[in-house]
Amino acid sequence: MSDFEPKIIAMVCNWCTYTAADLAGTSRLTYPSNIRIVRLMCTGMIDAKYILKAFLDGADGVFIGGCHPGDCHYINGNLKAVKRITGVGKLLEQFGFDPARLKLQWIGASEGPEFQRHMTEFVAAIQAMGPNPARDCMIL
Amino acid sequence: MHPFVIIKTDGHLSNAVAGFLKKLLTEQIADAVLAAAPTPYSLLPMPTLFTAPDLIEKADPLAPAAPFNSARQAISVLKHDTGKRIALVLRPCEIRALIELAKLKQCSLDNTLLIGIECLGRMENSVYLESASQNPGLTQAFYEDPDLQKHICSSCAICTRFQPVHADISLCLVGMPANECIGLSAETEAGLSVLKQLGFETSEAPARREDQIHRLLDERKASKAALLSENKDKTDSIEKFQRYFADCLNCHNCRVACPVCYCRECVFLTDVFAHDPEVLLRRASKKGMVKLPADTTMFHMTRMAHIAHACVACGHCSSVCPSHIPVADVFIRVAEEIQKLYDYEPGRDLSEAIPLLVFDENTGNEGI
Repeated sequence: MSDFEPKIIAMVCNWCTYTAADLAGTSRLTYPSNIRIVRLMCTGMIDAKYILKAFLDGADGVFIGGCHPGDCHYINGNLKAVKRITGVGKLLEQFGFDPARLKLQWIGASEGPEFQRHMTEFVAAIQAMGPNPARDCMIL
Repeated sequence: MHPFVIIKTDGHLSNAVAGFLKKLLTEQIADAVLAAAPTPYSLLPMPTLFTAPDLIEKADPLAPAAPFNSARQAISVLKHDTGKRIALVLRPCEIRALIELAKLKQCSLDNTLLIGIECLGRMENSVYLESASQNPGLTQAFYEDPDLQKHICSSCAICTRFQPVHADISLCLVGMPANECIGLSAETEAGLSVLKQLGFETSEAPARREDQIHRLLDERKASKAALLSENKDKTDSIEKFQRYFADCLNCHNCRVACPVCYCRECVFLTDVFAHDPEVLLRRASKKGMVKLPADTTMFHMTRMAHIAHACVACGHCSSVCPSHIPVADVFIRVAEEIQKLYDYEPGRDLSEAIPLLVFDENTGNEGI
């Protein structure tokens, strides 16, 4: 394991993944402290801007967590998110960002241990990738 | 093969085209015609809405210049159904943009007659103005002289979609001797009935057309591949991206010129990006400095994320850049990738849904 401590933004939906994070906490499950959680009402409200802003400001990874398909509180917000986020990943790839820095994962409200596992794995993956290239240059 | 009509030009290409448009008004096929025409004050052709048959004689939609993508001007007269039938003479990239705007319900194409131009390209405004001031017959000369065609702007030089899609009638120029005749191709039933109503005899398209279209397409494909690969070398890292856009003034001309930048109010004009001084100071303190105006990279990347699926490759973003940044090259490169990802081509089909507006119920449980 390298000394590099990545900064990771996790945008998670209020109804499923945030509740899973809560459950992980109340169950005293630990996961790396590299994750900064931003709670949103739904993954479907994530505009490309939020992801781009995180990466341009030097976030090493962006994790997006939502409800499993069929479980969305707003019926299909998560399905809308899939397409939009796939597109943003493709866009970032064009400018030399590893698309694996952006991850979308469904984690249900009852899946505290899953939340812990995904956070641990994502932090390890980003650690192996090294820092976000946008950290090293002046972003106009 | 679509029904084809040959129109004699007898050495007066612009007049022959204007004459055809005049008939649309005199025969009451259309109540108004939107076509490019020079104004009394300049040679630069501006989209002009004609209702008087005798004035439309001045229209010159084939002039190799387009100060902007006229889809925007088209939707200003097509916002809602007026009960009037409007004929629009547009380039293929303009029709593609119009189709995208129709999908976004920003216009209605119900009562229109779309006349598409088989487009050999447009010159930058300054190049056109200089050439046209020296050569009063520039429009016809352009279609006869391959050397003049080399002066088209860089986005047109890599355009592979120079044939109109979704037009009722196409004005055909490839493989036609412009000083003798041009073609009208009826692409839809509506187009055919108009040509019949005007009393035109349909015939076969000249055989040499197919060959020449293929040859032009191959040339364009090769130029496009070369330019996009060159662009990739210039923009494939975030550091190179900064270098590419380093001279950007944040004037947002590219956004204004973009026909498919569809928001009525751009987020970059809202308070979201009207930062308080504290925000700027905090951002400066992160790396010790921040360039102002800030958010240059954010602006271009956000615009790409929003419109890459709909980019019609018209190149007007490059044409309007005061810093001469080849904005279109990188947008076209990224748009190719995004359009491939969504298996989507803007303007291909009015009934094809915008990819971000539809979703798959059977999305897997794996995320991405």
